[in-house]
Amino acid sequence: MGVRPGSRRVFALRRVPLKVIGLIALFSAGIIPPFIFLIYSSLHQLDSSGAFGALTAANFATVFNDRALATTLINSMLYPLGAALVALTVGGVQAWLAERTDAKFRQILYVAAIISLGIPYVLYIVAWLLLLSKAGPVNAILQHLLGGAGPYINVYSLGGMIFIEGMLWSPLAFLLLSPVFRNSDASFEEAASICGAGVFSTLRHITIGMVRPALLAFGLLAFIKASEAFEVPALVGLPGSRRVLTSTIYQTLTLNIPPDTGSASAFGVLLLIVMAVLLHIYNRVAARTWRYQTVTGKGFRPRVVRLGRWRYAAGALIVAIPLVVIVLPLATILWAALLPYYQPFSIAALPKLGVANFVQVLHSRSFQASIVNTLLLGACAATVVTALSVVAGWCVARRMRGGAVLDTLAALPLVFPAIVLGLAFLQIFVHGGTHIYGTLLSLIIASTVAYMPYGLRYAQLGVIQIHPELEEAAAIAGARQGTAFFQIVLPLLVPAMISCWLFVFLIAVRAVSLMLLLVGPDSQIVAVTLFDFWNNGQVGELAALGCVWTAIMTVFSVAFLVLARRYQLPLS
Amino acid sequence: MLQVENLTKLYAAEDSGGIRNIAFEVATGEFYTLLGPSGCGKTTTLRSVAGLEEPSNGRVTLEDRIIFDFDRGVFVPANQRRLGMVFQSYAVWPHMSVFDNTAFPLRMARDRRWSKTDVQRRVMRTLETMGLAALAGRSAAQLSGGQQQRLALARALVGEPRLLLLDEPLSNLDALLREQMRTELRRLQKEVGVTAIYVTHDQSEALALSDRIAVMHNGAIVQIGLPRQIYDQPCNAFVATFIGRSNLLRGKLLERDQQHARIATALGPILCKISHSAADRLPGAALIRPEHVVLKRPDDRAGDGAVNRFRGRIVQVAFLGEATECVVQVGDVVILVRGATDQYDAADEVDVFFPPERTSAITEDA
Repeated sequence: MGVRPGSRRVFALRRVPLKVIGLIALFSAGIIPPFIFLIYSSLHQLDSSGAFGALTAANFATVFNDRALATTLINSMLYPLGAALVALTVGGVQAWLAERTDAKFRQILYVAAIISLGIPYVLYIVAWLLLLSKAGPVNAILQHLLGGAGPYINVYSLGGMIFIEGMLWSPLAFLLLSPVFRNSDASFEEAASICGAGVFSTLRHITIGMVRPALLAFGLLAFIKASEAFEVPALVGLPGSRRVLTSTIYQTLTLNIPPDTGSASAFGVLLLIVMAVLLHIYNRVAARTWRYQTVTGKGFRPRVVRLGRWRYAAGALIVAIPLVVIVLPLATILWAALLPYYQPFSIAALPKLGVANFVQVLHSRSFQASIVNTLLLGACAATVVTALSVVAGWCVARRMRGGAVLDTLAALPLVFPAIVLGLAFLQIFVHGGTHIYGTLLSLIIASTVAYMPYGLRYAQLGVIQIHPELEEAAAIAGARQGTAFFQIVLPLLVPAMISCWLFVFLIAVRAVSLMLLLVGPDSQIVAVTLFDFWNNGQVGELAALGCVWTAIMTVFSVAFLVLARRYQLPLS
Repeated sequence: MLQVENLTKLYAAEDSGGIRNIAFEVATGEFYTLLGPSGCGKTTTLRSVAGLEEPSNGRVTLEDRIIFDFDRGVFVPANQRRLGMVFQSYAVWPHMSVFDNTAFPLRMARDRRWSKTDVQRRVMRTLETMGLAALAGRSAAQLSGGQQQRLALARALVGEPRLLLLDEPLSNLDALLREQMRTELRRLQKEVGVTAIYVTHDQSEALALSDRIAVMHNGAIVQIGLPRQIYDQPCNAFVATFIGRSNLLRGKLLERDQQHARIATALGPILCKISHSAADRLPGAALIRPEHVVLKRPDDRAGDGAVNRFRGRIVQVAFLGEATECVVQVGDVVILVRGATDQYDAADEVDVFFPPERTSAITEDA
């Protein structure tokens, strides 16, 4: 028997327990095939019937002979870097204002950030494209102010991509960073002011210094998320010929007939390697960050900086940020939804406003179907993920034998950018001998695998909050392990489970990238419908469907906020 | 009743409370205490007896039945050992009522099916003993610290366990409540007649409650004995300083016979009684409790010779309510004296006298 670190196993387990073996088998079945199929298809030709043919290196040759590869790689570095900086700056300023100052209207920031969680990526990006387009209001205003001829802003550029992706991520950056500012212990700052430091030098030397590791960790996370983002590169980058790896994969699939899945897979493998390296770095940074996490004890209270006269200026900023990040884009969408065909905002267009788009959207069977499909997809994926991750999270958090394997397996999907995972599942469903390609079931399976890591983190945090002695007491009282789980652990996990469910639901229905390659005619979902609308130029229908959907999602995201606050659960 | 032999549990991190070759026996009805500083392995020992840890070696026998034997591969899981345990955090289930918390062990019982009325009767009787009957319907989350503690005890006792395990149950209570619960715990244990193992780092708790004490240090038991034995005849310097306040004068053995030893210390030679537990080892230190040191005016030569008497100066006098304590500087050594020292003031020149029958020769370490 080996020497093991201080485990707290209640029940005698010399072997790996059956439930852990079962979960390991299940998780392996979910995540190993995508790796195999992606690598296999990157190394094989497709024959004329569309089946896998001979072994080849041609796909990788295509990748490395791509003349634009160097530019693509440089873009793939610059774009996430810029986006991470924008998100971190906008989110960080909000977090500091909301948590550490007495600025006016701080609550607005939370409401705005939570509402933004329900807005589909495509809808949000389209809103900015409309605002910043050549004929859009922003260029019009600039032209009016500065005179001259040309449009001043070309949104279809690297700068445009960075700006929109940064805006897209800023609410989450705010939600993730605000606990960091909230939890940094004020006594360090008080010590600094006793040493004679003023408000701003304290902020510069102490506060920023204390939150710097967290800023670095979240900056890296934003960089990773932007690296694997698909929506902005596809909708903003491709029209302006600014390619990154994710959009190159999509282009390789859509520009050729039949789709060149081999080369796309080869790009996918390349991206997978990049992600694995980035995630490895992130895990190391994040692990070090824990050392700085301050434990909040009794009587802990973060000190609030008195801004004095600046209080109202800060209040204005607090109103302005959500105005730009949320209200302006949503207003643009609403405007577009009310017009029969899109035109920029003007007084002259006012008489044309009407609800025709809404009527059409709400009456169309296919739109109804896509809304129902999406809700079903989200609900099923969230339910399966929550159920599995509660048991798995318990096994991992209680350090059962095999728990570490389970933990690693469940985290593996994180290396897959959604578009690559979609591509891998596409090939599984097409070549894997099943007939579920294009069905809602296939979408649910892909989502479950993709969002398992998030569910597991939630469940693990939930279990960790339950003192192990509560279970040990049940064991001493004569309860079997299963009884202890169902009668003690599960009831105490309910709040964590509900908020885990809502979180997975929200992220599962929000993105288009995972679903884009997988949907079939009978499994249309809202995010993909919006994406197709934009490519077809149906801005009115897009906006109307987007408004309806955002309204539905707001109910879910507000429920999530209320729960997360009441039970003090982390927001991500 | 309970026999623990050769019990060993090792952890990867060496300072995290592993135990080596722990052996002790507990008699029926006894209140047995494992006492030691944090990290000494006392909780690991208790959890191994409970079945919450799987030891790396050794054997545990409860009422003539082996519940753990590493060599034979026997491990009776915690839920089949029929024990009662009170946890440090109480581990009261917050989503259940007081009644349901207490009834849980009965509902889980394997050897007997409890009818609803029997459960009702037994739980209410136990709750009455604990003074919780009025709160039976209340949610356990609404109880105060002291009430949670009594609920945990009720839950541990309701199934008439073969052995009651207590893991620092008083450490989360405030001082006044702790004293109250201490008395009550002792009374209940004797009343119910249950055998108990009690884990604590608080020596005054251990001395007040226990029938016998096993003092632990660095994963091993250093001394087992009655509270008075442990206090009066500590086997080594660790036990002497850990239990009670003491003046420990380290030095070298000059000479010894069966009963007495003379030890050379920084003050000079000191005549001591040889402590029972150090009988067959070479003592290297003299120990005297503060309340046994006698203060004398330098001019008071009545009654004794010059043995164990040293000239010093009072540095500080502290009034503690029930007693007075003063600190005497003797050469380079500071001697703590407790008792009737009212007539002395700081800066007074005094003699300290260590009565040889109250001064023990002990070993430096185990």
